[in-house]
Amino acid sequence: MEEMLEFRLHGRGGQGIVVAAAIFAEAVFLDGYYARAFSLFGAERRGAPVTAFIRVSRERLMPRSRIYRPDYAVIFDSSLSAETSTAGLKEGGTLLINAGEAKDGNLFLTTVGDNPYRIFAVDATEIAWKHKLAIGSFPMVNTVMLGAMASLSGLSSLESLVQSIKKRVTASLEANISAVGEGYECVREVEQLVT
Amino acid sequence: MAFELISGSQAAAIAVQRVGVDLVSAYPITPQTAIVETLANFDARGELGGDFVSVESEYAALACAYGAAAAGARAFTATASHGLAYMHEMIHWCSGARVPIVMVNVNRTIGAPWCLDPDQGDSLSQRDTGWMQIYCSGAQEVLDTVMQAFLLSEELLLPCMVVFDGFYISHTYEAVDVPDQKTVRDFIGPPPFEAQVKPGAPANLHGLTTGDNQIELIRGRHEAMKLAPQSFKAINSRFQETFGRSYGAIDPVIPDGAKTVILAAGATAETVRWALPKMQDTGLLQLRMFRPFPREELCSALEEHGVEKVIVIDRNCSTGMGGIFAQELRSALYGMDNQPDVQDIILAGGIDLTIEMLERIVREEKAEGHVEQKWGVDLR
Repeated sequence: MEEMLEFRLHGRGGQGIVVAAAIFAEAVFLDGYYARAFSLFGAERRGAPVTAFIRVSRERLMPRSRIYRPDYAVIFDSSLSAETSTAGLKEGGTLLINAGEAKDGNLFLTTVGDNPYRIFAVDATEIAWKHKLAIGSFPMVNTVMLGAMASLSGLSSLESLVQSIKKRVTASLEANISAVGEGYECVREVEQLVT
Repeated sequence: MAFELISGSQAAAIAVQRVGVDLVSAYPITPQTAIVETLANFDARGELGGDFVSVESEYAALACAYGAAAAGARAFTATASHGLAYMHEMIHWCSGARVPIVMVNVNRTIGAPWCLDPDQGDSLSQRDTGWMQIYCSGAQEVLDTVMQAFLLSEELLLPCMVVFDGFYISHTYEAVDVPDQKTVRDFIGPPPFEAQVKPGAPANLHGLTTGDNQIELIRGRHEAMKLAPQSFKAINSRFQETFGRSYGAIDPVIPDGAKTVILAAGATAETVRWALPKMQDTGLLQLRMFRPFPREELCSALEEHGVEKVIVIDRNCSTGMGGIFAQELRSALYGMDNQPDVQDIILAGGIDLTIEMLERIVREEKAEGHVEQKWGVDLR
Protein backbone atom coordinates (compact mmCIF):
# COMPACT_ATOMS: atom_id res chain seq x y z
CA MET A 1 0.00 0.00 0.00
CA GLU A 2 1.11 3.57 -0.67
CA GLU A 3 1.97 5.91 2.18
CA MET A 4 -1.69 6.85 2.59
CA LEU A 5 -4.93 6.09 0.72
CA GLU A 6 -7.73 8.61 0.59
CA PHE A 7 -11.43 8.07 -0.08
CA ARG A 8 -14.03 10.73 -0.74
CA LEU A 9 -17.69 9.73 -0.43
CA HIS A 10 -20.46 11.71 -2.08
CA GLY A 11 -24.07 11.16 -1.18
CA ARG A 12 -27.23 12.81 0.04
CA GLY A 13 -28.44 13.52 3.54
CA GLY A 14 -30.26 10.40 4.77
CA GLN A 15 -28.19 7.90 2.76
CA GLY A 16 -25.95 7.19 5.72
CA ILE A 17 -22.61 8.12 4.15
CA VAL A 18 -21.26 9.61 7.38
CA VAL A 19 -22.00 6.34 9.19
CA ALA A 20 -20.62 4.41 6.21
CA ALA A 21 -17.32 6.29 6.45
CA ALA A 22 -17.01 5.45 10.15
CA ILE A 23 -17.90 1.79 9.52
CA PHE A 24 -15.29 1.50 6.78
CA ALA A 25 -12.61 3.17 8.91
CA GLU A 26 -13.35 0.80 11.78
CA ALA A 27 -13.24 -2.23 9.47
CA VAL A 28 -9.83 -1.36 8.01
CA PHE A 29 -8.64 -0.52 11.53
CA LEU A 30 -9.66 -4.03 12.60
CA ASP A 31 -7.56 -5.33 9.72
CA GLY A 32 -4.43 -3.61 10.97
CA TYR A 33 -4.38 -0.15 9.42
CA TYR A 34 -4.84 3.22 11.03
CA ALA A 35 -7.87 4.99 9.65
CA ARG A 36 -9.74 8.22 10.07
CA ALA A 37 -13.24 9.07 8.91
CA PHE A 38 -14.74 12.51 8.96
CA SER A 39 -17.45 14.49 7.32
CA LEU A 40 -18.49 17.96 6.39
CA PHE A 41 -21.99 19.10 6.69
CA GLY A 42 -23.97 22.25 7.18
CA ALA A 43 -27.47 22.36 8.59
CA GLU A 44 -28.15 19.31 6.42
CA ARG A 45 -31.45 17.66 5.75
CA ARG A 46 -32.62 14.67 3.77
CA GLY A 47 -31.55 14.93 0.15
CA ALA A 48 -28.90 17.64 0.52
CA PRO A 49 -25.43 16.74 -0.86
CA VAL A 50 -23.08 15.44 1.87
CA THR A 51 -19.36 14.66 1.64
CA ALA A 52 -17.44 12.27 3.87
CA PHE A 53 -13.74 11.42 3.90
CA ILE A 54 -11.65 8.41 4.90
CA ARG A 55 -7.88 8.25 5.24
CA VAL A 56 -6.06 4.93 5.63
CA SER A 57 -2.41 4.63 6.57
CA ARG A 58 0.13 2.35 8.22
CA GLU A 59 1.01 5.33 10.44
CA ARG A 60 -1.13 6.85 13.16
CA LEU A 61 -0.17 10.41 12.22
CA MET A 62 -2.18 11.84 9.33
CA PRO A 63 -2.99 15.35 8.12
CA ARG A 64 -6.22 17.01 9.23
CA SER A 65 -7.20 18.65 5.97
CA ARG A 66 -10.07 17.76 3.70
CA ILE A 67 -9.40 15.41 0.79
CA TYR A 68 -8.90 17.13 -2.54
CA ARG A 69 -6.94 14.43 -4.45
CA PRO A 70 -8.65 11.17 -3.52
CA ASP A 71 -7.53 7.72 -4.62
CA TYR A 72 -11.18 6.67 -4.51
CA ALA A 73 -14.29 8.71 -5.29
CA VAL A 74 -17.43 6.87 -4.16
CA ILE A 75 -20.73 8.14 -5.50
CA PHE A 76 -23.79 6.97 -3.57
CA ASP A 77 -26.26 8.83 -5.79
CA SER A 78 -25.71 9.20 -9.53
CA SER A 79 -27.87 12.33 -9.72
CA LEU A 80 -25.13 14.26 -7.90
CA SER A 81 -22.87 16.59 -9.88
CA ALA A 82 -20.28 14.50 -11.73
CA GLU A 83 -17.91 17.47 -11.84
CA THR A 84 -17.94 17.96 -8.06
CA SER A 85 -17.86 14.28 -7.22
CA THR A 86 -14.87 13.46 -9.39
CA ALA A 87 -12.90 16.70 -8.83
CA GLY A 88 -9.23 15.96 -8.19
CA LEU A 89 -9.61 12.17 -8.48
CA LYS A 90 -6.08 10.84 -8.97
CA GLU A 91 -4.84 9.51 -12.28
CA GLY A 92 -5.19 5.75 -12.03
CA GLY A 93 -7.65 6.23 -9.18
CA THR A 94 -11.00 4.53 -8.79
CA LEU A 95 -14.49 5.88 -9.34
CA LEU A 96 -17.15 3.72 -7.73
CA ILE A 97 -20.73 4.59 -8.50
CA ASN A 98 -24.13 3.34 -7.44
CA ALA A 99 -25.61 2.69 -10.88
CA GLY A 100 -27.53 0.08 -12.80
CA GLU A 101 -26.99 -0.71 -16.48
CA ALA A 102 -29.68 1.49 -17.94
CA LYS A 103 -30.50 3.99 -15.29
CA ASP A 104 -29.43 7.48 -14.30
CA GLY A 105 -25.83 6.33 -13.94
CA ASN A 106 -25.50 6.59 -17.74
CA LEU A 107 -25.94 10.32 -17.57
CA PHE A 108 -23.34 10.60 -14.82
CA LEU A 109 -20.86 8.46 -16.73
CA THR A 110 -21.47 10.38 -19.96
CA THR A 111 -20.74 13.61 -18.11
CA VAL A 112 -17.52 12.18 -16.73
CA GLY A 113 -16.32 11.59 -20.31
CA ASP A 114 -12.68 10.73 -21.05
CA ASN A 115 -10.75 10.27 -17.87
CA PRO A 116 -7.58 8.76 -16.46
CA TYR A 117 -9.24 6.58 -13.81
CA ARG A 118 -11.07 3.25 -13.64
CA ILE A 119 -14.82 3.16 -13.21
CA PHE A 120 -16.69 0.54 -11.24
CA ALA A 121 -20.41 0.24 -10.64
CA VAL A 122 -22.73 -1.61 -8.34
CA ASP A 123 -26.52 -1.38 -8.46
CA ALA A 124 -26.78 -0.57 -4.79
CA THR A 125 -30.29 0.86 -5.08
CA GLU A 126 -31.68 -2.37 -6.54
CA ILE A 127 -29.83 -4.52 -4.00
CA ALA A 128 -31.11 -2.31 -1.16
CA TRP A 129 -34.70 -2.65 -2.41
CA LYS A 130 -34.29 -6.39 -2.77
CA HIS A 131 -33.33 -6.63 0.91
CA LYS A 132 -36.09 -4.19 1.89
CA LEU A 133 -33.50 -1.70 3.13
CA ALA A 134 -35.42 1.55 2.88
CA ILE A 135 -36.85 4.30 4.98
CA GLY A 136 -40.19 4.98 3.29
CA SER A 137 -39.39 5.55 -0.38
CA PHE A 138 -35.71 6.22 0.36
CA PRO A 139 -33.44 3.18 -0.30
CA MET A 140 -30.60 2.73 2.22
CA VAL A 141 -27.67 1.91 -0.03
CA ASN A 142 -24.76 2.48 2.33
CA THR A 143 -24.01 -1.10 3.35
CA VAL A 144 -24.04 -2.27 -0.30
CA MET A 145 -21.57 0.49 -1.18
CA LEU A 146 -19.39 -0.53 1.77
CA GLY A 147 -19.19 -4.08 0.44
CA ALA A 148 -18.09 -2.74 -2.94
CA MET A 149 -15.50 -0.43 -1.34
CA ALA A 150 -13.99 -3.31 0.63
CA SER A 151 -13.92 -5.54 -2.42
CA LEU A 152 -12.23 -2.96 -4.67
CA SER A 153 -9.69 -1.64 -2.18
CA GLY A 154 -8.79 -4.92 -0.51
CA LEU A 155 -8.27 -2.95 2.70
CA SER A 156 -10.92 -4.75 4.69
CA SER A 157 -12.10 -8.33 4.79
CA LEU A 158 -15.82 -8.99 4.57
CA GLU A 159 -15.64 -10.39 8.12
CA SER A 160 -14.21 -7.17 9.57
CA LEU A 161 -16.76 -5.12 7.67
CA VAL A 162 -19.60 -7.21 9.09
CA GLN A 163 -18.10 -6.90 12.57
CA SER A 164 -17.94 -3.13 12.20
CA ILE A 165 -21.51 -2.96 10.86
CA LYS A 166 -22.76 -4.94 13.85
CA LYS A 167 -21.28 -2.31 16.13
CA ARG A 168 -22.92 0.67 14.45
CA VAL A 169 -26.08 -0.62 12.79
CA THR A 170 -29.03 -1.88 14.78
CA ALA A 171 -31.93 -1.77 12.29
CA SER A 172 -32.39 -4.66 9.80
CA LEU A 173 -29.03 -6.13 10.72
CA GLU A 174 -29.47 -9.43 8.84
CA ALA A 175 -30.60 -7.64 5.68
CA ASN A 176 -27.64 -5.26 5.94
CA ILE A 177 -25.21 -8.14 6.30
CA SER A 178 -26.68 -9.80 3.20
CA ALA A 179 -26.50 -6.49 1.35
CA VAL A 180 -22.85 -5.91 2.20
CA GLY A 181 -21.98 -9.37 0.88
CA GLU A 182 -23.87 -8.72 -2.31
CA GLY A 183 -22.12 -5.37 -2.77
CA TYR A 184 -18.81 -7.16 -2.26
CA GLU A 185 -19.65 -9.72 -4.97
CA CYS A 186 -21.56 -7.65 -7.51
CA VAL A 187 -19.29 -4.66 -8.08
CA ARG A 188 -17.86 -4.67 -11.60
CA GLU A 189 -15.75 -2.55 -13.88
CA VAL A 190 -17.75 -0.68 -16.51
CA GLU A 191 -17.00 1.07 -19.80
CA GLN A 192 -17.07 4.82 -19.67
CA LEU A 193 -20.19 5.01 -21.77
CA VAL A 194 -23.01 2.61 -21.14
CA THR A 195 -25.75 2.62 -23.74
CA MET B 1 -3.69 -0.41 25.34
CA ALA B 2 -7.32 -0.50 24.31
CA PHE B 3 -7.67 1.34 21.03
CA GLU B 4 -11.13 2.36 19.94
CA LEU B 5 -12.22 4.22 16.84
CA ILE B 6 -14.02 7.24 18.29
CA SER B 7 -14.58 10.89 17.41
CA GLY B 8 -12.99 13.85 19.18
CA SER B 9 -16.35 14.67 20.73
CA GLN B 10 -16.77 11.13 22.02
CA ALA B 11 -13.22 11.27 23.40
CA ALA B 12 -14.13 14.37 25.43
CA ALA B 13 -17.28 12.73 26.81
CA ILE B 14 -15.52 9.46 27.63
CA ALA B 15 -12.83 11.40 29.52
CA VAL B 16 -15.53 13.05 31.63
CA GLN B 17 -17.17 9.69 32.36
CA ARG B 18 -13.83 8.07 33.26
CA VAL B 19 -12.85 10.94 35.59
CA GLY B 20 -16.22 10.77 37.33
CA VAL B 21 -18.01 14.08 37.76
CA ASP B 22 -20.79 15.07 40.12
CA LEU B 23 -22.57 17.20 37.56
CA VAL B 24 -22.84 17.73 33.82
CA SER B 25 -25.02 20.61 32.69
CA ALA B 26 -24.95 21.31 28.99
CA TYR B 27 -26.96 22.50 26.04
CA PRO B 28 -26.34 20.96 22.61
CA ILE B 29 -24.99 23.06 19.73
CA THR B 30 -23.26 22.08 16.48
CA PRO B 31 -20.45 20.94 16.39
CA GLN B 32 -20.39 20.06 20.11
CA THR B 33 -23.65 18.03 20.08
CA ALA B 34 -22.03 14.58 20.19
CA ILE B 35 -20.40 15.42 23.53
CA VAL B 36 -23.80 16.06 25.12
CA GLU B 37 -25.30 13.03 23.35
CA THR B 38 -22.55 10.71 24.54
CA LEU B 39 -22.79 11.98 28.13
CA ALA B 40 -26.60 11.71 28.04
CA ASN B 41 -26.21 8.10 26.86
CA PHE B 42 -23.88 7.35 29.77
CA ASP B 43 -26.49 8.88 32.07
CA ALA B 44 -29.31 6.85 30.51
CA ARG B 45 -27.33 3.65 31.09
CA GLY B 46 -26.59 4.66 34.68
CA GLU B 47 -22.86 4.94 33.93
CA LEU B 48 -22.31 8.68 34.34
CA GLY B 49 -22.04 8.58 38.11
CA GLY B 50 -23.11 12.20 38.65
CA ASP B 51 -26.20 14.15 37.69
CA PHE B 52 -26.94 15.14 34.11
CA VAL B 53 -28.91 18.37 34.08
CA SER B 54 -30.68 19.40 30.88
CA VAL B 55 -30.82 23.17 30.82
CA GLU B 56 -32.67 25.77 28.78
CA SER B 57 -29.61 27.68 27.52
CA GLU B 58 -25.84 27.89 27.60
CA TYR B 59 -26.06 30.67 30.16
CA ALA B 60 -27.95 28.28 32.42
CA ALA B 61 -25.48 25.47 31.66
CA LEU B 62 -22.57 27.41 33.09
CA ALA B 63 -24.62 28.97 35.88
CA CYS B 64 -25.63 25.48 36.96
CA ALA B 65 -22.03 24.21 36.80
CA TYR B 66 -20.95 27.26 38.81
CA GLY B 67 -23.49 26.56 41.56
CA ALA B 68 -22.42 22.93 41.74
CA ALA B 69 -18.72 23.80 41.90
CA ALA B 70 -19.39 26.38 44.62
CA ALA B 71 -21.00 23.55 46.59
CA GLY B 72 -17.83 21.48 46.20
CA ALA B 73 -18.95 19.35 43.24
CA ARG B 74 -16.80 18.38 40.26
CA ALA B 75 -18.64 19.96 37.32
CA PHE B 76 -18.33 19.82 33.54
CA THR B 77 -19.98 21.59 30.63
CA ALA B 78 -19.35 21.88 26.90
CA THR B 79 -20.34 24.33 24.22
CA ALA B 80 -19.31 26.01 20.96
CA SER B 81 -19.45 29.35 19.21
CA HIS B 82 -22.68 31.25 19.89
CA GLY B 83 -23.22 29.09 22.96
CA LEU B 84 -19.89 30.25 24.41
CA ALA B 85 -20.71 33.86 23.55
CA TYR B 86 -24.04 33.50 25.34
CA MET B 87 -22.21 32.28 28.48
CA HIS B 88 -19.88 35.27 28.52
CA GLU B 89 -21.03 36.92 31.75
CA MET B 90 -20.93 33.63 33.66
CA ILE B 91 -17.48 32.84 32.22
CA HIS B 92 -16.09 35.89 34.03
CA TRP B 93 -18.09 35.06 37.15
CA CYS B 94 -16.68 31.53 37.49
CA SER B 95 -13.05 32.65 37.43
CA GLY B 96 -13.78 35.57 39.77
CA ALA B 97 -15.43 33.14 42.18
CA ARG B 98 -12.36 30.83 41.96
CA VAL B 99 -14.37 27.68 41.24
CA PRO B 100 -12.77 24.78 39.38
CA ILE B 101 -14.85 23.88 36.30
CA VAL B 102 -13.80 22.12 33.11
CA MET B 103 -15.50 23.25 29.93
CA VAL B 104 -14.91 22.00 26.41
CA ASN B 105 -15.34 24.50 23.61
CA VAL B 106 -15.48 23.13 20.08
CA ASN B 107 -14.35 25.90 17.76
CA ARG B 108 -16.94 27.23 15.33
CA THR B 109 -17.17 30.60 13.62
CA ILE B 110 -19.41 33.16 15.28
CA GLY B 111 -21.94 34.85 12.95
CA ALA B 112 -23.28 36.82 11.25
CA PRO B 113 -23.68 35.11 8.89
CA TRP B 114 -24.17 31.57 10.22
CA CYS B 115 -21.08 29.45 9.60
CA LEU B 116 -20.03 26.09 11.03
CA ASP B 117 -16.35 26.10 10.05
CA PRO B 118 -13.85 26.12 12.92
CA ASP B 119 -12.70 29.73 13.35
CA GLN B 120 -11.04 30.02 16.78
CA GLY B 121 -12.55 33.44 17.45
CA ASP B 122 -15.15 31.99 19.82
CA SER B 123 -12.67 30.76 22.44
CA LEU B 124 -10.10 33.49 21.75
CA SER B 125 -12.74 36.14 22.41
CA GLN B 126 -12.83 34.74 25.97
CA ARG B 127 -9.07 35.31 26.36
CA ASP B 128 -9.39 37.84 29.16
CA THR B 129 -12.02 36.09 31.27
CA GLY B 130 -9.59 34.47 33.69
CA TRP B 131 -9.98 30.92 32.38
CA MET B 132 -7.06 28.74 31.41
CA GLN B 133 -7.23 27.60 27.79
CA ILE B 134 -5.61 24.51 26.26
CA TYR B 135 -5.85 23.71 22.52
CA CYS B 136 -5.80 20.10 21.28
CA SER B 137 -4.70 18.73 17.89
CA GLY B 138 -6.50 15.37 17.90
CA ALA B 139 -8.87 13.02 19.71
CA GLN B 140 -6.20 11.35 21.88
CA GLU B 141 -5.07 14.76 23.08
CA VAL B 142 -8.69 15.72 23.74
CA LEU B 143 -9.26 12.66 25.92
CA ASP B 144 -6.01 13.10 27.83
CA THR B 145 -6.30 16.88 28.20
CA VAL B 146 -9.86 16.81 29.52
CA MET B 147 -8.70 14.40 32.24
CA GLN B 148 -5.68 16.57 33.07
CA ALA B 149 -7.77 19.76 33.03
CA PHE B 150 -9.69 18.60 36.11
CA LEU B 151 -6.44 18.23 38.06
CA LEU B 152 -5.09 21.57 36.87
CA SER B 153 -8.33 23.40 37.55
CA GLU B 154 -8.82 21.88 41.00
CA GLU B 155 -5.22 22.55 42.02
CA LEU B 156 -5.22 26.23 41.02
CA LEU B 157 -8.90 26.92 41.71
CA LEU B 158 -9.31 28.39 38.27
CA PRO B 159 -11.68 27.14 35.57
CA CYS B 160 -10.13 25.54 32.50
CA MET B 161 -11.34 25.51 28.90
CA VAL B 162 -10.25 22.63 26.64
CA VAL B 163 -10.54 23.69 23.02
CA PHE B 164 -10.53 21.85 19.70
CA ASP B 165 -11.63 22.40 16.10
CA GLY B 166 -15.14 21.56 14.97
CA PHE B 167 -15.40 18.77 12.35
CA TYR B 168 -11.63 18.36 11.79
CA ILE B 169 -11.47 16.93 15.32
CA SER B 170 -15.01 16.84 16.77
CA HIS B 171 -16.41 14.78 13.88
CA THR B 172 -13.28 12.77 13.03
CA TYR B 173 -13.33 9.10 14.00
CA GLU B 174 -9.83 7.89 14.76
CA ALA B 175 -7.91 5.39 16.88
CA VAL B 176 -7.79 6.49 20.50
CA ASP B 177 -6.23 4.64 23.41
CA VAL B 178 -9.13 4.66 25.87
CA PRO B 179 -8.08 3.94 29.46
CA ASP B 180 -10.33 1.99 31.79
CA GLN B 181 -12.30 3.75 34.48
CA LYS B 182 -10.39 2.37 37.46
CA THR B 183 -6.99 3.48 36.15
CA VAL B 184 -8.34 6.97 35.52
CA ARG B 185 -10.13 7.27 38.87
CA ASP B 186 -7.02 6.08 40.73
CA PHE B 187 -4.98 8.66 38.85
CA ILE B 188 -7.37 11.57 39.29
CA GLY B 189 -8.64 10.92 42.81
CA PRO B 190 -11.57 12.69 44.46
CA PRO B 191 -11.96 16.48 44.10
CA PRO B 192 -9.56 18.06 46.63
CA PHE B 193 -11.22 21.47 46.98
CA GLU B 194 -13.51 22.79 49.68
CA ALA B 195 -17.13 23.75 49.14
CA GLN B 196 -17.68 27.51 49.32
CA VAL B 197 -21.24 27.01 50.47
CA LYS B 198 -22.72 24.04 52.34
CA PRO B 199 -26.22 22.76 53.06
CA GLY B 200 -27.40 24.05 56.42
CA ALA B 201 -24.98 26.97 56.29
CA PRO B 202 -26.42 29.49 53.85
CA ALA B 203 -24.04 32.23 52.72
CA ASN B 204 -24.14 35.22 50.42
CA LEU B 205 -21.07 34.87 48.24
CA HIS B 206 -19.25 37.54 46.26
CA GLY B 207 -21.24 40.55 47.46
CA LEU B 208 -20.35 44.13 46.60
CA THR B 209 -16.73 45.10 47.12
CA THR B 210 -14.43 47.97 46.15
CA GLY B 211 -11.70 48.27 43.57
CA ASP B 212 -9.15 48.22 46.39
CA ASN B 213 -10.26 44.72 47.33
CA GLN B 214 -10.88 43.66 43.77
CA ILE B 215 -7.34 44.45 42.64
CA GLU B 216 -5.98 42.03 45.23
CA LEU B 217 -8.38 39.34 44.03
CA ILE B 218 -7.38 39.95 40.42
CA ARG B 219 -3.71 39.76 41.40
CA GLY B 220 -4.43 36.51 43.22
CA ARG B 221 -5.95 34.98 40.08
CA HIS B 222 -3.10 36.26 37.95
CA GLU B 223 -0.47 34.82 40.27
CA ALA B 224 -2.37 31.51 40.48
CA MET B 225 -2.61 31.24 36.72
CA LYS B 226 1.08 31.92 36.28
CA LEU B 227 1.69 28.64 38.12
CA ALA B 228 -0.19 26.68 35.45
CA PRO B 229 2.76 25.75 33.18
CA GLN B 230 4.64 24.34 36.17
CA SER B 231 1.59 22.46 37.50
CA PHE B 232 0.83 21.18 34.02
CA LYS B 233 4.38 19.84 33.76
CA ALA B 234 4.05 18.01 37.07
CA ILE B 235 0.64 16.58 36.10
CA ASN B 236 2.09 15.38 32.81
CA SER B 237 5.06 13.66 34.37
CA ARG B 238 2.64 11.70 36.59
CA PHE B 239 0.42 11.12 33.57
CA GLN B 240 3.41 9.74 31.66
CA GLU B 241 4.06 7.18 34.39
CA THR B 242 0.48 5.90 34.34
CA PHE B 243 -0.55 6.28 30.71
CA GLY B 244 2.76 6.36 28.80
CA ARG B 245 2.08 9.72 27.13
CA SER B 246 2.56 13.32 28.07
CA TYR B 247 2.19 16.83 26.70
CA GLY B 248 3.76 20.21 27.28
CA ALA B 249 2.39 23.73 27.42
CA ILE B 250 4.12 23.86 24.05
CA ASP B 251 5.24 20.84 22.05
CA PRO B 252 8.17 21.78 19.79
CA VAL B 253 9.47 19.56 16.98
CA ILE B 254 12.49 21.47 15.71
CA PRO B 255 15.00 19.53 13.59
CA ASP B 256 18.69 20.49 13.90
CA GLY B 257 19.46 23.43 11.68
CA ALA B 258 15.83 24.50 11.21
CA LYS B 259 15.72 28.29 11.23
CA THR B 260 12.02 28.53 10.42
CA VAL B 261 9.28 27.13 12.62
CA ILE B 262 5.53 27.05 12.15
CA LEU B 263 3.48 27.85 15.23
CA ALA B 264 0.04 26.28 15.22
CA ALA B 265 -2.65 25.45 17.78
CA GLY B 266 -5.38 22.86 17.30
CA ALA B 267 -6.00 20.64 14.26
CA THR B 268 -3.65 22.52 11.93
CA ALA B 269 -0.72 21.62 14.22
CA GLU B 270 -1.17 17.97 13.32
CA THR B 271 -1.29 18.75 9.60
CA VAL B 272 2.01 20.61 10.00
CA ARG B 273 3.47 17.74 12.06
CA TRP B 274 2.60 15.27 9.30
CA ALA B 275 4.07 17.51 6.59
CA LEU B 276 7.36 18.27 8.41
CA PRO B 277 9.41 15.50 6.72
CA LYS B 278 8.41 16.97 3.34
CA MET B 279 9.56 20.49 4.25
CA GLN B 280 13.29 21.09 4.54
CA ASP B 281 14.71 23.01 7.49
CA THR B 282 11.31 23.70 9.01
CA GLY B 283 10.09 22.93 12.51
CA LEU B 284 6.81 22.95 14.42
CA LEU B 285 5.91 24.71 17.62
CA GLN B 286 2.57 23.34 18.70
CA LEU B 287 1.01 25.83 21.07
CA ARG B 288 -1.20 23.93 23.50
CA MET B 289 -1.58 26.30 26.42
CA PHE B 290 -2.84 29.74 25.40
CA ARG B 291 -3.82 31.05 28.84
CA PRO B 292 -1.60 31.44 30.64
CA PHE B 293 0.59 32.27 27.65
CA PRO B 294 3.72 30.07 27.94
CA ARG B 295 6.11 32.90 27.25
CA GLU B 296 9.21 31.43 28.92
CA GLU B 297 8.77 28.03 27.27
CA LEU B 298 8.35 29.63 23.84
CA CYS B 299 11.31 31.97 24.16
CA SER B 300 13.65 29.26 25.40
CA ALA B 301 12.62 26.81 22.65
CA LEU B 302 13.24 29.47 20.00
CA GLU B 303 16.52 30.58 21.58
CA GLU B 304 17.80 27.05 21.99
CA HIS B 305 17.43 26.35 18.27
CA GLY B 306 18.41 29.82 17.06
CA VAL B 307 15.10 30.17 15.21
CA GLU B 308 15.00 33.19 12.90
CA LYS B 309 11.45 33.04 11.62
CA VAL B 310 8.12 31.98 13.09
CA ILE B 311 5.21 31.47 10.72
CA VAL B 312 1.99 31.54 12.74
CA ILE B 313 -1.13 29.71 11.59
CA ASP B 314 -4.06 31.73 12.88
CA ARG B 315 -7.50 30.27 12.27
CA ASN B 316 -8.88 33.53 13.58
CA CYS B 317 -8.55 37.27 13.13
CA SER B 318 -8.88 40.17 15.52
CA THR B 319 -10.38 42.69 13.12
CA GLY B 320 -8.19 45.75 12.82
CA MET B 321 -5.05 43.94 14.04
CA GLY B 322 -4.69 40.43 12.64
CA GLY B 323 -4.23 36.87 13.87
CA ILE B 324 -4.42 36.57 17.64
CA PHE B 325 -1.73 33.91 18.17
CA ALA B 326 0.68 36.04 16.11
CA GLN B 327 -0.08 39.13 18.20
CA GLU B 328 0.46 37.22 21.42
CA LEU B 329 3.70 35.74 20.12
CA ARG B 330 5.08 39.13 19.01
CA SER B 331 4.25 40.53 22.40
CA ALA B 332 5.92 37.59 24.18
CA LEU B 333 9.09 37.83 22.04
CA TYR B 334 9.46 41.60 22.42
CA GLY B 335 12.83 42.46 23.89
CA MET B 336 14.29 38.99 23.35
CA ASP B 337 17.88 38.80 22.04
CA ASN B 338 17.91 37.81 18.36
CA GLN B 339 14.14 38.16 18.28
CA PRO B 340 12.72 36.02 15.44
CA ASP B 341 10.67 37.62 12.69
CA VAL B 342 6.97 36.69 12.81
CA GLN B 343 4.73 36.07 9.80
CA ASP B 344 1.00 35.67 10.29
CA ILE B 345 -1.08 33.36 8.08
CA ILE B 346 -4.77 34.12 8.60
CA LEU B 347 -7.23 31.27 8.09
CA ALA B 348 -10.16 33.21 9.56
CA GLY B 349 -13.57 31.70 8.94
CA GLY B 350 -12.00 28.37 9.86
CA ILE B 351 -10.75 27.66 6.34
CA ASP B 352 -8.84 24.48 5.60
CA LEU B 353 -5.04 24.33 5.79
CA THR B 354 -4.07 22.06 2.91
CA ILE B 355 -0.66 20.45 2.36
CA GLU B 356 -0.32 22.45 -0.88
CA MET B 357 -0.95 25.72 1.01
CA LEU B 358 1.55 24.78 3.66
CA GLU B 359 4.24 23.99 1.10
CA ARG B 360 3.50 27.26 -0.67
CA ILE B 361 3.69 29.22 2.61
CA VAL B 362 7.15 27.82 3.38
CA ARG B 363 8.40 28.20 -0.22
CA GLU B 364 7.24 31.81 -0.48
CA GLU B 365 8.66 32.72 2.92
CA LYS B 366 12.10 31.48 1.84
CA ALA B 367 11.87 33.48 -1.41
CA GLU B 368 10.26 36.66 -0.11
CA GLY B 369 11.68 37.17 3.38
CA HIS B 370 9.74 39.55 5.62
CA VAL B 371 6.03 39.71 4.89
CA GLU B 372 3.98 40.47 7.96
CA GLN B 373 0.62 38.98 7.10
CA LYS B 374 -1.00 36.75 4.49
CA TRP B 375 -4.58 35.63 4.03
CA GLY B 376 -5.23 31.94 3.50
CA VAL B 377 -7.64 32.57 0.63
CA ASP B 378 -4.74 34.08 -1.36
CA LEU B 379 -2.64 30.94 -0.91
CA ARG B 380 -4.88 28.38 -2.56
